[in-house]
Amino acid sequence: MALDAVFREHWGRVLATLAGVLGDIELAEDAAAEAFAIAAERWPRDGEPANPVGWLVTTARNRAIDQLRRRQALAAKTALLARDLATGPQPPEARMDDAAEIPDERLELIFACCHPALALETQVALTLRTLGGLSTDEIALAFLVPFETMSKRLTRAKHKIRDAAIPFAVPPDHQLPDRLAAVLTVVYLIFNQGWGGGAVDLAAEAIQLGRALADLMPDEPEVPALLALMLLHDARKAARVRDGQVVPLDDQDRALWDERQIDEGRALLRRAMAGNRTGPYLLQAAIADLYLHEPRDWRQIAALYQTLAAQTGSPIVEMNRAVAVAEINGPEAGLAILDRLDLDHYRYFHSTRADLLRRAGRPDEAWRAYRRALDLAQTEPEQRFLRGRLAETAPPASIPPGRASPS
Amino acid sequence: MQYALLIHASAQDTERAARPIPDALAARLGQPDVAGWTRLHADESATTLRNDDGRTLLTDGPFIDSKEYLAGLILIEADNLDGALATARELLEQTRPGTAIEVRPVLDGRARGA
Repeated sequence: MALDAVFREHWGRVLATLAGVLGDIELAEDAAAEAFAIAAERWPRDGEPANPVGWLVTTARNRAIDQLRRRQALAAKTALLARDLATGPQPPEARMDDAAEIPDERLELIFACCHPALALETQVALTLRTLGGLSTDEIALAFLVPFETMSKRLTRAKHKIRDAAIPFAVPPDHQLPDRLAAVLTVVYLIFNQGWGGGAVDLAAEAIQLGRALADLMPDEPEVPALLALMLLHDARKAARVRDGQVVPLDDQDRALWDERQIDEGRALLRRAMAGNRTGPYLLQAAIADLYLHEPRDWRQIAALYQTLAAQTGSPIVEMNRAVAVAEINGPEAGLAILDRLDLDHYRYFHSTRADLLRRAGRPDEAWRAYRRALDLAQTEPEQRFLRGRLAETAPPASIPPGRASPS
Repeated sequence: MQYALLIHASAQDTERAARPIPDALAARLGQPDVAGWTRLHADESATTLRNDDGRTLLTDGPFIDSKEYLAGLILIEADNLDGALATARELLEQTRPGTAIEVRPVLDGRARGA
């Protein structure tokens, strides 16, 4: 296996095991990085060990022991490590027997990274760094902040986890629903950040995190539901942009949809539905699935949006319900819902409204709404699409000269 | 390990010194996970000494001037931050509206003399 593939596959697990033992992500990262560097040097020469994770964990733990010895800070560490410290570093091969039983502690790590005592943006960055193995450079690039800013944010977070003793543990039952919701929020934020089409494929990172969570928490219906939601959206990735322009769902080339991914998403959705609980991700995944069917069952879509709106109180969900209602009862019915919403800052609100106004035969208002959507649009493909729509809509007669063409 | 809970009170609350500690709060402070506690007089009683490149500067008032002021300090034992946050939440329920509690891990895990 190529070494970067080894890194991708094992980084999260190796780091999680070390962080759990050491209670210190920074120390764990340094040691893990050294272990991967040693692997890069030795494995091509000596061959990959039978248990790569065990080899990497043991090697990294040895490096951490060296590091702690140098720091003369032995006493405070765990009993497990204290035993290792007494006997000194061991060759990784000596550990091959029990290495097979190295527990997967990624869940403990992700709950530490998504602890509510950390700011949400910090949770997101730290999760990408620790579980995803992204470099600080890549994370800074993905979130459009300077390297220094991201580096400071990550370092501060790692120190806070260590110094304040944020636990590396799956929360007890009474806290689990809230804490799991926080973890899923982080994963879904990562997924959506990836949509703008940056230099880093964050959607793929989020799906990978979703897969790990679905493996580790198979009994929580919202976990496979989130993975299903991401897979169903991501399956249309190749069809979503054509010639640098956003393509609406109905104009997409279905041959470009990833059928295998859709099947997997649907299987996960069925599994989540068997749980008898309707959380927000299950509802969203069910809606995403309904959107893929032809002809579209707008009544069911509208009903699911209504349940979701009641659960989340989100005006964006209401906006989406308005689109479904417009399909059932006509554009004016959808516009009546939109007019009640306070979403002026939200770019998709204006493009959604513009579309309904156009279909309602109100071109002047449609033009103004497209214009506002274009002002707020953040990516080039979105802007191209909106410019096209604007060009098809006659500008109102009252627009002063010079404002008639979009800038 | 130990955590310091820093209690911040609203500047409008000037009657604190005259008010007894509520029974429920006193009972909670008597439990074994509380290693020590103290109430502090309001901001206006503070004097700040600052080390300015070896010279000592003395100013009238607290170091940080804000709407809230540091009104007390509770030292607690907890296994980890979750335990400390749970205790802080219990204590906060016994306080007046507008009160805030800042949770700080104690360096080296233990306060001197406690």
